[in-house]
Amino acid sequence: MAATLRIEPDAAFVKDVIANGGGDLKKCYQCATCTAACTLSTEARPFPRKQMIEAQWGLKEQLVSDPALWLCHNCGECSDRCPRGARPGDVMGALRRAAIRHFAFPSFMGRAVANAKALPALLLVPALIFAAIALYAPKGHVEEGARKFADVFPTNFIEPLFFVVAALALLGFAIGLSRFIAALRAGGADGAILAGLVPALALIFRHSRFKECKGKAGDRYLGHFLMFLGFVGLGVMGTIVGLGTMAGVMETPLAITNPLKIFANICALAVLIGSVMLLVHRSKLAATSTYFDWYFLLTLVLTAATGIASELLRLAQAAAWMYAVYFTHLVLIFTLFLYAPYSKFAHLVYRTVAIAAAEGRSTR
Amino acid sequence: MPRKLGIYVCSGCSIGESVDTDQLVKVGTRECKAAVCRSHPALCGAEGIAGIRSDIAAGTVDTVLIAGCSPRTKTEVFTFDSNIVLERVNLREHVAWAHTPKDEDTQMLAEDYLRMYAAKAHKCEPLEPPSDAISKKLMVVGGGIAGITAALEAAAADYEVVLVEKEAKLGGFLGGLKKRFPTKPPYTEAESDGFAAKIEQALYSPKIQVLTSATILKTEGQPGMFDVTIQSGENTTTVRVGAIVVATGWKPYDASKLGHLGYGNSPDVVTNVELEKMAAGGRIVRPSDNKPVQSVLFVQCAGSRDKDHLAYCSSACCMATLKQAGYIHEQNPDAKVYIVYKDMRTPGHYERFYRAAQDNPLVFLTKGEVVSCDASSSSGVTVNVRGTLLGEEISIHADLVVLATGMVPNAGNDTDSVLKLTYRQGPELPVLKHGFPDSHFVCFPYETRRTGIYAAGAVRAAMTGAHAEEDALGAAMKAIQSVELASHGQAVHPRAGDMSFPSFLLQRCTQCKRCTEECPFGALDEDVKGTPKPNIYRCRRCGVCMGACPERIISYKNYSVDMIASMIKAIEVPEEEEEKPRVLVFMCENDSYPALDIAGFRRMQYDASVRVIPLRCLGSLNIVWIADALSSGFDGVMLFGCKYGDDYQCHFVKGSELANKRLENVKETLDRLQLERERLESIQLSIDEYGKVPELINNFMERIREMGPNPYKGM
Repeated sequence: MAATLRIEPDAAFVKDVIANGGGDLKKCYQCATCTAACTLSTEARPFPRKQMIEAQWGLKEQLVSDPALWLCHNCGECSDRCPRGARPGDVMGALRRAAIRHFAFPSFMGRAVANAKALPALLLVPALIFAAIALYAPKGHVEEGARKFADVFPTNFIEPLFFVVAALALLGFAIGLSRFIAALRAGGADGAILAGLVPALALIFRHSRFKECKGKAGDRYLGHFLMFLGFVGLGVMGTIVGLGTMAGVMETPLAITNPLKIFANICALAVLIGSVMLLVHRSKLAATSTYFDWYFLLTLVLTAATGIASELLRLAQAAAWMYAVYFTHLVLIFTLFLYAPYSKFAHLVYRTVAIAAAEGRSTR
Repeated sequence: MPRKLGIYVCSGCSIGESVDTDQLVKVGTRECKAAVCRSHPALCGAEGIAGIRSDIAAGTVDTVLIAGCSPRTKTEVFTFDSNIVLERVNLREHVAWAHTPKDEDTQMLAEDYLRMYAAKAHKCEPLEPPSDAISKKLMVVGGGIAGITAALEAAAADYEVVLVEKEAKLGGFLGGLKKRFPTKPPYTEAESDGFAAKIEQALYSPKIQVLTSATILKTEGQPGMFDVTIQSGENTTTVRVGAIVVATGWKPYDASKLGHLGYGNSPDVVTNVELEKMAAGGRIVRPSDNKPVQSVLFVQCAGSRDKDHLAYCSSACCMATLKQAGYIHEQNPDAKVYIVYKDMRTPGHYERFYRAAQDNPLVFLTKGEVVSCDASSSSGVTVNVRGTLLGEEISIHADLVVLATGMVPNAGNDTDSVLKLTYRQGPELPVLKHGFPDSHFVCFPYETRRTGIYAAGAVRAAMTGAHAEEDALGAAMKAIQSVELASHGQAVHPRAGDMSFPSFLLQRCTQCKRCTEECPFGALDEDVKGTPKPNIYRCRRCGVCMGACPERIISYKNYSVDMIASMIKAIEVPEEEEEKPRVLVFMCENDSYPALDIAGFRRMQYDASVRVIPLRCLGSLNIVWIADALSSGFDGVMLFGCKYGDDYQCHFVKGSELANKRLENVKETLDRLQLERERLESIQLSIDEYGKVPELINNFMERIREMGPNPYKGM
């Protein structure tokens, strides 16, 4: 802070932010109404005024290493209050997108997931994989009686495939995260992350920030909370069942009366209801939503919807439909997880770590 | 000499319910040497006025005293021919509305006012305005945007104009710009068409005589008859004009004083004026090596808003920078433009221009304070800035640094005069702050402290071209107004329309030079011996000279030392035993008297022991009146005038300040007479403070009662 900082604006970065959600960035004239209005902004880490001028000056390094980007929960109150219509809330969203892209490994994935033109290719990959499994994988013994998904999509292919997907996603996250942490440290946020994780997670589980972060469009507390809990529940369930089937102690599909199954169904409903609530909320927002936003949210909604639909169709034993819908469901789960480190989904890691790093100690 | 006085007492507007008007008529008849004295329930009505007019027509009355509402009201109703003397007694706002009705003290107050004004009216003479040959031609000094606009507007109103320009070509600073600030909606783009068309119009107008390469050698005379000697090229001419508009514009602040910002240390640090010249002449390049410019840094407020340089903001430099940022991007769309400011000031419509300029992603703005500009590196300049919005001390490299310097008025001064007035008080317009001519006049821009001379444009206050055009229109209108009023022998602001003028009984003059010194407008010149030479068209009729003169030789036909002294002597001062103190209150007519009127409107009550005498300006207070008052047995004197000092409100600039100084001398006399100094009080007031007046009067009366009666009462 004592040393003089040599400034060399990254003009391409400025233009990128403007083109991808921060269209009104240059209207900001630094009145700081946004920071004053933000309920989550603190004296120790105020935002988004500073991020606005740093974005205007193309200071990419400073911005991507700034935890404040992730302390924001996107309520849009700042955009509503801005007297110039500079939409700081949207700019923060665009900056988060730019940060995810910046830390993405491999970087071509980062570019692809953010680009609408790449969507067909991104969907084609899992579509081909699952089609191949359906057509060519040896099915094993098909029992008489009720049809099940494993008849077409054998578990001994699906489960390992998803573990590979999970591993790749984790690798992508790990590398992206290590870059992010290095950047955080370089930027001066040196809170002890591991120690900070406990209070951070407690905060997240209570969703206290969502309660405070309320814009004109109302709050997303309930929607996000339902979806979040449902997702965590399904994740836990999925892992248990996956491990169980691989170890041979469980057999899918579980009976509908099975407590695990009941729990899983409740979680699935929670995800569906929550994500639809968030979808409705986003469509009511005055803020501009970009492809980056819709891609994630629609993937979630459709995944939940196709999942529940698949189960219902299986219970109804609707032969042609159940496999088709399940196929779609598999493709969507694949994209959701494999592309997680490069899509908006990455917030789950970046935001958590940023909060932990910021909780650790207060800024200069 | 006694006149045929007609006293008309109005009992309307609850005056009749407050005082006994019949008793007033008796006092008027017995004591005031009135030819006619009667009352009427509604003097301002058709019947009331008709009565007065018929008395005048019959030759019974040549002096009319209207005892009723305030002289500030119903002026269009109570107006008579110029051979009739008219005086108004304020029985409504100052008596009926502000004091206890049907009370002995209120009655005494009303009767005293009648006596006072009758005494004054007998000494007045009808006004005869002077009739001299007045020139209605206008002179405009300066052929820039303000000067040209003033000339064109005056010509359009059918007045002849002489336009004097120092350079060989018209246009001033604006004529040399590449583009000017937007003048029409949506105000988002700089305009290229300048004002060449206006310059043409001025050159070819049959009503405008344009003199270029011209300087003024001297200006003699007074409004309506200024004789200006001008040297234009080889020729010298003298023109007679009626009023002058000074529109000499500005020059850039001397950047050689800005070495701390790099000026002079590197050829790549230039001023905004130099950049404009570069742009207007062709391409903008880096001066050190003529290479193209990839990055430019503008330093706003360079030498402005700075206690070591210019203290003020020039209001146009932020716009100039934004405009010049546009020039840079026109030439090179990928260039980076940095702007470091104290504040971005783009008032009014210019805000839209700011927003449009901001939209370019390659314009980088931050607040900051430039610490240094180092040209030590091989190319360009490294600028260190602290206190930025980016939170740190930053350093930026730029090919070119532009210092946005401010505007200094081309107002002449005593050593380097533009107008070269042959006035005793000096050759130039007096300056108030920061080198601008004193036009701090309350509510009256364009005015200067020289009657008939009006300042417009950047010489009056730092401003943009569009504002200068508006300013010029205003100044032209004021100049026209002044010649029109002068042609009727009438004064200008603030006593617009006043036909009285001062006369000097020079046989008794002792050449003390107080009047020639103290006149706020330099209306009085001097001969070799120091005898004043009045120039009545320069006069604003304030009477400051009258107050200054120790020999009391200056007087107006309707306002003189003797008249006021008679008013004081006409007041009946009760004997000591009656325990009715008397306090004289001098109030200036500009803010204080109206404030008392407003207190009256509001029915605010105060002590009826005071007797109010309005003065044109407290500066016309002659201290002999105070001596008269004390020797007449008055227990105290109050003065109410306008604020003086740096942020003065005094409508005649120095009047109330002079009154205060004179009061100090009087206080010494009081000491010698063993009278308390506290019997004299001087108060500065503005019209919005009317609420305080009753309280101030009452508190003073309380203190007077505590001090006890004037020991000289009854002597």
